Amino acid sequence: MKKLFAVLMALLMVAMMATALAETTLTVAGWDISTTPYYAAIKEAYEAANEGVTIEWVDLASQDYNVKASTMLAGGDTTDLYCVKELSDMQNWAKEGLIVSMTPSIEADGYDMTKYAGMDSCYVYTGDGEQYALPFRADYWVVFYNKDLFDQAGIAYPTNDWTWDEYAAIAREITEKTGAYGTHYHTWFSDVANWAVCGVDYTLADGNYDNLRYFYELVLGLEDEGVCMSFDELSASGLHYSGAFAQGDIAMMPMGYWYASTLIGYIKDGTASMNWGIAAVPHLEGVEAGSSFGSPTGIAISAASANQEEAWKFAAWMCSEEGAKAVATTGTRPAYVSDAVAEVMASAEGFPTDETSLAALLPSGIALEWPVGDDAVNAVKTAVNEEHTLIMTRELTVDEGITEMNERAAEILGL
Amino acid sequence: MTAATVSKSHHKPVTAGQMIVTILKYVLLVCLTIIALVPFVWMISSSFKTSIDVFSIPMKWIPAELHWENYVQIWERVPLAAYFKNTAILAVIVTFMQILTSSFAAYAFAKMNFRGRDLLFMCYIGTIAVPWQVYMVPQFIMMRSIGLYDTIWALVALQSFSAFGVFLMRQFYMGIPNDLSEAARIDGLSEYGIWARIILPLAKPAIATLCIFTFVNTWNDYMGPMIYLTTDVKKTIQVGLRRFIQAYSADYNLIMAASLCSLLPVTIVFLFLQRYFIEGIATTGMKG
Amino acid sequence: MSKLEKRNTLIAYSFLAPNFIGFVVFTLIPVIFSIVLAFMNWSGGSNITWAGLDNFRTIFKDFSFTKSNLGISLKNTVCYTVATVPLTIACSLGLALVLNKGVKGAKFFRAVIFFPYVASLVAICVCWNFLLMKNGPVNQFLRMFGLNMNKSWTSSTNLAIWAIIIVSVWRNAGYYMVMYLAGLQGVPAELYEAATMDGANAWQKFTKVTLPMLTPTTFFCSIMMVISCFKIYDVVAIMTKGGPGRSTKMLVTYIFELSFGGEGIATSAQYGVASAVSMVLLAIVLLVTFIQFRGEKKWVNYM
Repeated sequence: MKKLFAVLMALLMVAMMATALAETTLTVAGWDISTTPYYAAIKEAYEAANEGVTIEWVDLASQDYNVKASTMLAGGDTTDLYCVKELSDMQNWAKEGLIVSMTPSIEADGYDMTKYAGMDSCYVYTGDGEQYALPFRADYWVVFYNKDLFDQAGIAYPTNDWTWDEYAAIAREITEKTGAYGTHYHTWFSDVANWAVCGVDYTLADGNYDNLRYFYELVLGLEDEGVCMSFDELSASGLHYSGAFAQGDIAMMPMGYWYASTLIGYIKDGTASMNWGIAAVPHLEGVEAGSSFGSPTGIAISAASANQEEAWKFAAWMCSEEGAKAVATTGTRPAYVSDAVAEVMASAEGFPTDETSLAALLPSGIALEWPVGDDAVNAVKTAVNEEHTLIMTRELTVDEGITEMNERAAEILGL
Repeated sequence: MTAATVSKSHHKPVTAGQMIVTILKYVLLVCLTIIALVPFVWMISSSFKTSIDVFSIPMKWIPAELHWENYVQIWERVPLAAYFKNTAILAVIVTFMQILTSSFAAYAFAKMNFRGRDLLFMCYIGTIAVPWQVYMVPQFIMMRSIGLYDTIWALVALQSFSAFGVFLMRQFYMGIPNDLSEAARIDGLSEYGIWARIILPLAKPAIATLCIFTFVNTWNDYMGPMIYLTTDVKKTIQVGLRRFIQAYSADYNLIMAASLCSLLPVTIVFLFLQRYFIEGIATTGMKG
Repeated sequence: MSKLEKRNTLIAYSFLAPNFIGFVVFTLIPVIFSIVLAFMNWSGGSNITWAGLDNFRTIFKDFSFTKSNLGISLKNTVCYTVATVPLTIACSLGLALVLNKGVKGAKFFRAVIFFPYVASLVAICVCWNFLLMKNGPVNQFLRMFGLNMNKSWTSSTNLAIWAIIIVSVWRNAGYYMVMYLAGLQGVPAELYEAATMDGANAWQKFTKVTLPMLTPTTFFCSIMMVISCFKIYDVVAIMTKGGPGRSTKMLVTYIFELSFGGEGIATSAQYGVASAVSMVLLAIVLLVTFIQFRGEKKWVNYM
C-alpha cells in the first residue's frame, strides 16, 4: 500500500513537471487591458514566437493601478511581471526588494540598451545603480502640421531639423498669408514650456526655471500677434486641442505622439478632413536636432515570481525590436527606436507617407518630461503649473512668474 | 400719502404713490426674472446656432436659422443615452431607498419612546454639520476595499442613508397628532401597521419634498460620480456632460444642446412638484 | 426594564436598523476613520504608519495667507464666504419682500427665481463661463459703460473669485428667498397695524418690524450658508480649477488635490495630509455650528 502510494506520487510529480515544462503561464499586471489594443498584440506575437508559453494579463483599474500593484507586490502575489506606471513607484518597489534587478541578466545576455533614446535610464534604481525595469512604450512629443494650410500659403513643409525661431517665423507667415492660426498651444505647461528639457542636461526638478523664459516669451508673442489662440480664450471655453486641430484652421501643433491615432480616427469617421504630417520638435540654437521629451512605460519582474527565467525572457522580448513592432502595429509609440519599428508605425492605415514624417519617428533623444517624483517633486510640479497659468493669463510677467517658480521650488525642495 | 401699504389697504382708493410702487415692483420683478433666466435663454439660443455664430459680435439672441440637427448630433457623438439611463436608474434607486429607510427610521424617532433616542438623534443631526469633503477620502478607500469602486452601487450606498432625510421626515411626523397613533394602538394595530396605514399616508407632502430633493440632488451630483465612476459607459449625465465638453469643446452649440437635455428631467420633476418642494423647504428648513 | 418596554425598544430599533446600519457603515465610520487618518502616514498601500502631528506640521509649515497652500486656500474660502453670504441674504430678502404680498403671478415669479437652484451645476457653470468670456455677453454689456473688460473673468486673479461668487448668489438666492417668504408669513399683521397707528413710514416698518422679526430666519440662513460656503468645491472645479495660479483655490480644492490630484496637479495620494486639512475644515464648521447653538438661545427665544 505504501509502495503504491509512493509510485503514484512519483508519477504525479513527473506528470506535473512535464506539463510545467511544456506549458508556462506568465501573469502580467497592466491597466485598461480591455480597451488598450497593444496588450493583445504583445500576447499574440509572443505566444506565436514562443510555443508553450501563455501570457495572461491581469487587468487593474488605471486610476488605482499604483496602489493595487503595490499592494499585490507587498502581499507576495504570484503575478510574475508588473507594468510600471509611475517612476516613483518603481523606485519604491526596488527599495523594498519587491522587484528584481535586471542588470545580471542584461550583462549575461549582452542585451542591447542603446535603442531607447535614453528612456531606460529612469529605470535605474538610485540606491544601487542597477536596472530594475525596461521601457516598452514611450509617448514623446512631435509637431503635427496641416499640409493643406502649408500648400495654401505656399510654404515648404517643415523639416526635422529646425529651430524654434524658424518655427515661429513659419507660423507667422502662415497666419499672414492664409488667415488661419499658424500654431496652437494647449493650456498645459508641458505644451508651452517643457521644451526646455530637450537635448540638454536639465530637469524641471532642478529648481531653476530661467530656461523657460525663451518659450514663454515666444508663445506670448505669438498670442499677441494673433498667430495662436489665446490661453485666456482656451481656458475659459475649455477648448480641447484634439477638436481644435481637427477643425482645420490650425497649421501646426506641438503635441504628444498619441494624438496621431486620434487624428487618424477623426479622419476615418469624417470629423476631420485634411492632409497632415509630423515633424520632429524644433530645437534651440546649438542643441542637437530631433530631441524631444516624453514619459516611458516599463515592465518589471516581481521578486515573488516563480518563473524568473521565463519572466526575463518575456520582458526582454517585449522591450526588444520584435516587441516594439507588436506595440507599433496598434498605433502606439514603443520605447525602442529603430528604422524597422518606424516603418511599422508609419504603415498604420491613415499615417502620412512622406519621408519627413517617417524620419520624425526616429528621435535622437527623449528627455524625461518630469524627473522621478517623490512628494516634494510632485509639489514642485503643482507649483510650476500654477505659476504657468499666472504667466499665461498675464497676471504675472514672464520674469515675475519665473522668479516665483524659482522661489516656490526652492522653498519646497529646501534649496 | 406715503406708500405704506397695510393689509387692509384695498378698501381705500388706490393713490398715485401706490401705483408707482406697484409698477416699480413689477419692473423690478421682471428684471430679476430676466437675470434668473438669461443663462438659460442664452443656452437655448446657442443650442440652435452653428458653433461659429455662438460668439458673433454683436450677439444675436434669436438665431437667424434654427439648426435642429444639433439635437440629433449630440446623441450620436457620445453615449448620452447611456448616461441618461445610468443617472435615471441611480436617481430612482436612491430616491426609493432614501424614502423607505428615512420614513421608517423617522417613525422611531418621532412616535416611539426608547432608550437613547435623543442621544442617537443628536448623533444624526451632528453628522449633517460635518462636510462630506471631510470624510470623502476614507469613504472612498472603504468603498474601494469592498469592491464597490467604479460601480453604481458605491453611489447608492453613499446617498441612500442620509441623516438629512431622517431629519426631514421626523420634523414632519412630529406635526402629526399623537392621538391618531394612540387610537390605532388601542385598536390593536402593530407599530408597523400604524406606520404603514396611518402615518405614511398622512406624510405625503413630506415624502414628495424628500422625493424631489433626493431626485434633484442625485441627478445633479457631480463630485460623487466623478470620484467613483471611471468606466465611460457607467458614468452619469453630469460627469458625462463634462466629458462631452472636454471632447467637443469647439462645438459650443452642441455643448449647450446637451446641457439643455440634461436639464430637462429635473425641470419636468420641478414643474410638476414645485409647490411641494417650496413648501417643504419652508416647513422643514425653518425648524433646524 | 419591563418586558413591554424591552419589546418596544426592540421594535424601535427595528425601525431604525435599515437606515442606521447604512449610516454607521457609510458615514460614521468614515468620519472616525478620517480623524484617525489625520495622524497617520498613508498613501493608499499596505504601509500605514503613525505620524503624530507631522501632517499638521506639514500643512502649517511657513503658514502665510499669501504663500502657503493652506493659508491661501483658507483666505480664498473666507473671502468667498464673506462676499457670498451678505449678497445672497440681501438678494433673497429683497426678493421675498417684493413677492410677499399683493403681487399678481407671485407663484410664477417664485418658481422662475427658484429654478436655478435645481438646474444641473455643470450646465450652469459652463454657461456662465461662456457668458463671462473675454468677448462674451457680460463683457460686451460692461464695455457699453466704458469699462475696459479685456479678459475672461476666469482668467483674472481679481475677477475669477467674483465669477464664482456671482454664480453662487445667482443659484442660491431663490432657495433662501423661499425661507424668507416662510419667515414673513410668521410676522403678525397686528405689528404692522400698530406701527401704522404710530405713524411709521415704510422704511421704519422695515427696520423696526420686519427685520427684527426675521432675525431667526436670517440667523438660520446665514449659518446654513456659511457652512455650505466653506464646503465650496464643484463650482470652482468646473469654472476655474482653482486658478489662475492659486487665486480660487479653496479648502476643499486643496483637500481634493492632495488626495486625488488633477490636471496639472501631480497625483500624490497624500491621504494623511489631506485628512489634516479636513480637520481644519471640520474645526471651522463645528465652530460655526456651535455659535449657531449658542446664538439661537440668545437671539431666537424671544418669539
